[in-house]
Amino acid sequence: MTALDTPVEQTAPPAQQDARRTARFFTMSNVSLLFIWAGLIAVFGLLTPETFLTTDTFRTVLAGQAITAIMALALLMPIAAAQFDLSIAGSMGLGIVLVATFMAKLELGVPLAIGLTLLSGVVIGLVNAFIVVRLRVNSFIATLGTGSILTAAIQWISGGQQIVAGIPQSFTDLGRHEVVGVPMSVVFMLLIALVMWYVLELRQTGRYLYAIGSNTEAARLAGVRVNRLTTIALVVSGLIASVAGVVFVMRIGSASLDAGTPYLLPAFAAAFLGATQFRQGNVNVLGTLVAVYVLATGVKGVQLIGAPFWVDDLFNGAALIIAVALAVRSGRQKVLV
Amino acid sequence: MAAHAEGAPLLRITGLSKSFAGTRALADVDLDLRAGEILGLVGQNGSGKSTLIKVLAGYHRPDPGATAVLAGEEFALGDAAGAADAGLRFVHQDLGLVPSLGALDNLALGRGYRRSRLGTISWRAEREAAVELLGQLGYRFDLTRPVGELRASERTGIAIARAVEGFTRGARVLVLDEPTASLPAAEADRLFEVVRRVNAAGVAIVYVSHRFQEIFELCDRVTVLKDGAHVATRDVPDLTEPGLVRLTIGRDLEGPGARHATAARSEEHDAALRLRGLVGEGIEPFDLEVARGEIVGVAGVTGSGRESLGRLAFGSLPRAGLVEVGSTAVTAGSPVASIAAGMAYVPADRLSNAAFVDMTLRENLTISRLRDVSGRRGLLRERERQETLRWLTDLEVKPCDPEARLATLSGGNQQKVMLARALRLGPAALVLDEPTQGVDVGAKRTIHDIVRRAAVDGAGVLVLATESEELLALCDRVAVMVAGRCIGVFATAGLTADDLTELTMGTAGTVADGAAAAPAAPTAPVVAGSVGAGR
Repeated sequence: MTALDTPVEQTAPPAQQDARRTARFFTMSNVSLLFIWAGLIAVFGLLTPETFLTTDTFRTVLAGQAITAIMALALLMPIAAAQFDLSIAGSMGLGIVLVATFMAKLELGVPLAIGLTLLSGVVIGLVNAFIVVRLRVNSFIATLGTGSILTAAIQWISGGQQIVAGIPQSFTDLGRHEVVGVPMSVVFMLLIALVMWYVLELRQTGRYLYAIGSNTEAARLAGVRVNRLTTIALVVSGLIASVAGVVFVMRIGSASLDAGTPYLLPAFAAAFLGATQFRQGNVNVLGTLVAVYVLATGVKGVQLIGAPFWVDDLFNGAALIIAVALAVRSGRQKVLV
Repeated sequence: MAAHAEGAPLLRITGLSKSFAGTRALADVDLDLRAGEILGLVGQNGSGKSTLIKVLAGYHRPDPGATAVLAGEEFALGDAAGAADAGLRFVHQDLGLVPSLGALDNLALGRGYRRSRLGTISWRAEREAAVELLGQLGYRFDLTRPVGELRASERTGIAIARAVEGFTRGARVLVLDEPTASLPAAEADRLFEVVRRVNAAGVAIVYVSHRFQEIFELCDRVTVLKDGAHVATRDVPDLTEPGLVRLTIGRDLEGPGARHATAARSEEHDAALRLRGLVGEGIEPFDLEVARGEIVGVAGVTGSGRESLGRLAFGSLPRAGLVEVGSTAVTAGSPVASIAAGMAYVPADRLSNAAFVDMTLRENLTISRLRDVSGRRGLLRERERQETLRWLTDLEVKPCDPEARLATLSGGNQQKVMLARALRLGPAALVLDEPTQGVDVGAKRTIHDIVRRAAVDGAGVLVLATESEELLALCDRVAVMVAGRCIGVFATAGLTADDLTELTMGTAGTVADGAAAAPAAPTAPVVAGSVGAGR
């Protein structure tokens, strides 16, 4: 009512500009995922109304994808700066084994176990940054390598054994806890998303990262501290991936080995698919979250119709390729150039 | 020389014109190349030399009406395969070698490797052929060593060898495009020897160069282009160097001979930017001072060191020597430190080095210092938008919309945004590398006004540019670089564009006395490239 009722102060040009900006945002290609999402829900709702349109399904999808979403969020800073981090699967896997080992075998307190586990993510990020920034190894190769080293570390620390017993009740209770009906894992995911959104959209750090991703040499010549920011991006991705590991153990109550790997591809698929939305070719938080849940909705719907178990991998792989192909077509794909 | 009758035309081009989007790069040019001769091709920047060569090589299609006859047979211009079949061979300025591969591999690229009966590469046959070919040219070096590690003249030799390989069969005409542009003088002599040997084997040569001494040393005749038109073709023995200069720039020479350079230093206390003993890629110790409010230009042909000076001063290339802004010495090798000291730099090659094409004008502009548009809780979008809007209005950028993407702007408007990015820092020293690259005439004028205003506001401005006209329009003084060193600093008052161009060609018989650099022996740029080669 206020905006509409104060015609005199609001001069025409800013209003027009705002309108233009809004129009630019709602172009079909910019928000197409929202339409696709609505379409998917409508189609599956019509096909299997009794199973698809239930709060149970809604909650399963929401909670089931929280860790995937956290992993996708971990990728945003590196991708914004045109860097890969393939080691997030390893960081998550190590996080799982570490947090469980600390609590079940070394019998450390829950806060200390979590703190040390998150520290491992930071250390992995620093190692990645050293290899990429100082040794000038391409980040794809560097993190492919550290990812494999992390797999070795996971096996070494765990002795090849899953950790199923000894995880304190208080810790797994935290995982089953709900905040006004929202599962804890989703709460963690939303918190990370909020902080990531704030840093990428409203802080200087985010602007610098996107600039590095747009044109690294131009950023360097414009006075951006490229090395420092690349380091920050890789440390943050390692840290968030280790958070994903902690959340995983919290939810499942045990530490399986190699639990991080299945999250790697869906995370990339969501980040790249999300990049086609809202921010016209750049990875962003909102797009990533929407992409995670569009993919999950599709997978869930097809499963309920009776598709086989492997449809998940099929969906994510196809989505990754389609997303990047779309970005390349619009000429905005920078990471893979 | 060769067995051909003197004066028989081997290659004859007539009525060659070429237009690009309304501008005429070549207008009705005729070119005659006699069998067995070395023909020089000279002209200023923009005279049409490169276009002519690119048409010959088939890279550009000429306007209708041109004819080309090689050894009595007509062939189509603007067709790469046709040119190659007819026997035209080219060595372009960048040579087109793969630096990480050895000579053997580089020679085989394009033509394919010799095979053994089993279908594998026959390295013995390759080696024998290469030794013979390079031996004919007088070269002996490790054929498997990566060519990037060889001497510059050896690399040029490989490129020539590749072009004329089997010149007994294919090659009839070899076109060399500024082969000495990046060669030290000593190695240039080596190259001339190679060119003479190829010529002696019956290949006619078109030799393009900025350096007139080379024309006199090497060529039988010389063709002069100016503004896209054929000016004259003369026998070299009938010409003097001043005569050739007169043909090239279309007027008599007298200016620089009588001209004295002004001091390379302005008053000490007023210096905004001071370069002392600056050494780095392609540059010998270089001294220059720019006073507050002054615009100083640096002129020089490509390969003179002018193109790396800006990056050296700004610290984005490794350097030795002293750079001071005001009275603060600037840490080398760090753009961040240079900016903190009060220097702003607008790089050449906007697309690679300056533009964030997929980002908005606002984001492109404020990136140089986000602190100014940030509060405690982060970036202040509205303040950013307001500041951007002010700059866009001030510099007449179209469209005047902070949220437009940079890619949607014309080159001139993009360049204005790049300038605004530097100017908003309120720099004490402003270094502009080719500030009007790829910019139309109207935008050029606006950009010049902006630069002048920055100087009036107290910045010391250093402008590096290829175009003499631009430097004269903008600058109070111009430092002229030839082959890596500064041959003098000249006041622009009374200097004409032709004077300046002539100075950059390094042919002027006089070198100004007041120059900071030690007086050089005229017509002998023996110091060429010794920074790189000597150590």
